Amino acid sequence: MRVVTGKTMSRYQKYILPAGIFGFLLLGSAVMCRVDPVALIAGIPRGIDLFGQMVPPAWKTFPELVGPALETVEIAFVGTALGASLSFVIGLVAAHNMNSNRILRNTVRTILSVERALPDLIVVLFFVAIVGLGPFPGVMALAASSIGMLGKLFADAIEEVDPKPVESMVAIGATKAQVIRYAVLPQVIPSLIGNTLYRFEVNIRMSIFLGVVGAGGIGYNLVTSLRLLEYQEAMAAILTILILVTLCEKLSERVRRIIVGQELLR
Amino acid sequence: MLSVRNIAKRLPDGRLLLKNISFEVEKGEFVGILGESGVGKTVLLRCINGLTQPDHGEVIINGINGDGGPQKINEKRGQELRKIRRKIGMIFQGSILVKRLSVLENVLTGGLGRISTVRSLLYGFTDEEVDSALGAIDKVGIRSLAYRRAETLSGGEMQRAAIARAIFQEPCLLLADEPVSNLDPKNTEAVLDYLKPLTQEMAIIGVFHAPKIVSQYCTRAIGIRDGNVVYDGNPFLSDNTLEAIYSTGKHAPGATVDKTFPSPRETVTEWKQEDKDGAAMQIS
Repeated sequence: MRVVTGKTMSRYQKYILPAGIFGFLLLGSAVMCRVDPVALIAGIPRGIDLFGQMVPPAWKTFPELVGPALETVEIAFVGTALGASLSFVIGLVAAHNMNSNRILRNTVRTILSVERALPDLIVVLFFVAIVGLGPFPGVMALAASSIGMLGKLFADAIEEVDPKPVESMVAIGATKAQVIRYAVLPQVIPSLIGNTLYRFEVNIRMSIFLGVVGAGGIGYNLVTSLRLLEYQEAMAAILTILILVTLCEKLSERVRRIIVGQELLR
Repeated sequence: MLSVRNIAKRLPDGRLLLKNISFEVEKGEFVGILGESGVGKTVLLRCINGLTQPDHGEVIINGINGDGGPQKINEKRGQELRKIRRKIGMIFQGSILVKRLSVLENVLTGGLGRISTVRSLLYGFTDEEVDSALGAIDKVGIRSLAYRRAETLSGGEMQRAAIARAIFQEPCLLLADEPVSNLDPKNTEAVLDYLKPLTQEMAIIGVFHAPKIVSQYCTRAIGIRDGNVVYDGNPFLSDNTLEAIYSTGKHAPGATVDKTFPSPRETVTEWKQEDKDGAAMQIS
């Protein structure tokens, strides 16, 4: 028996009862989901068979994959760039030290958090619905879903800038645009670049997925191959995607290091 | 050149911080404002360049922007206010520098008011402007640091860079809010030695903690207590004066005024008593 916040709790209250409730919920949910280890084990031979059908990958289709793979990267690149630029402007509007209008600020922040709560798939389907199939709705979807996260992060970064240089520039008659350019931007640029690169990596993965719902890129090739039961072609697409994602992450890491390296040098 | 008339300022909590502050400053003066912590010295400086709006009274500046006419700073907004502020420099306690920009870039920002917004956004400083900024950096003796980032500078070097920015700005009036409070004695001396000659071009109003500094460098001292000017005159303060400014002479930081300079070297500025509260005013 121990004293917990002024009340004594028995061992039963403290451990057994919560464990019982948790166990009941877990077991119940698992049954509802028809979790069946036997089926999993029974499926192993089928898995091996499927993998056997996938190798060797149909590398002859590789030339056809290069175009869509590049398109995937392009969608992510344009979407991230567009989203990040808009996020900076939105960040300025949502930061209390840049915008004294509280109603506008809170409205923008609320919209951002609603956007973050919205599953990305819904955002994509929305843009497919309004601008049609192809890479453009993909770009718009990535830009829109990037704004939810980057807009908030940028606003927070802007709110944390050292106020003294900002005020000292206001004090000597600089315009608002000049203050943002010379006092705010230099202070937030590391955070801006770091978060944007991270979002680019997220967007590359999302961009692959976009092809599945018909918004362009290599994801479309993968889904088509799987539907046509061309497993060797599907494997080629999967490997291309793996290479693509790895390359992009290495690139982003490299860019980040170059910028951090400059930080240390200067 | 600058005329502060009957300034009153109430704090958000309702306390009347500044009750009735009036004084005039001419070019060539180096005015040191003294008073206890929290007496409103900083607020007073901020009222002068319009960062804070006084509840009562006016701040009038004369002979800037070529037209020579008197202008009420506290009634200006937007473009007009910016135009006046371009001629008023400001140095804060601690650093006003953007830490991630180089010293040169920081100094160049002093000229933002002179160049068009579009040109400044594209980093459109001309070679002449860069040379002139380097000249200002040279004047405060940190030429070798011009391309270093501000964050790598020591406190004394930062404050010198801030002065270089003010020199490059070419103001008529420089407001210095405790420019030396974070510095060791050696750097304090260096910074003040760079500030003082600037009075050939402009007027300087500085807020200081130590009466000793004021008597050593300023041409005039203004003491503030309970929201009123209690002393306005030569910077060589007697013990009685210090007692009038601070609660007791003993509590004054660095209260030991150098007595080897007992006589006023500068003309004592007449201070018209407009204060109805009858606050103690002494001229030593």
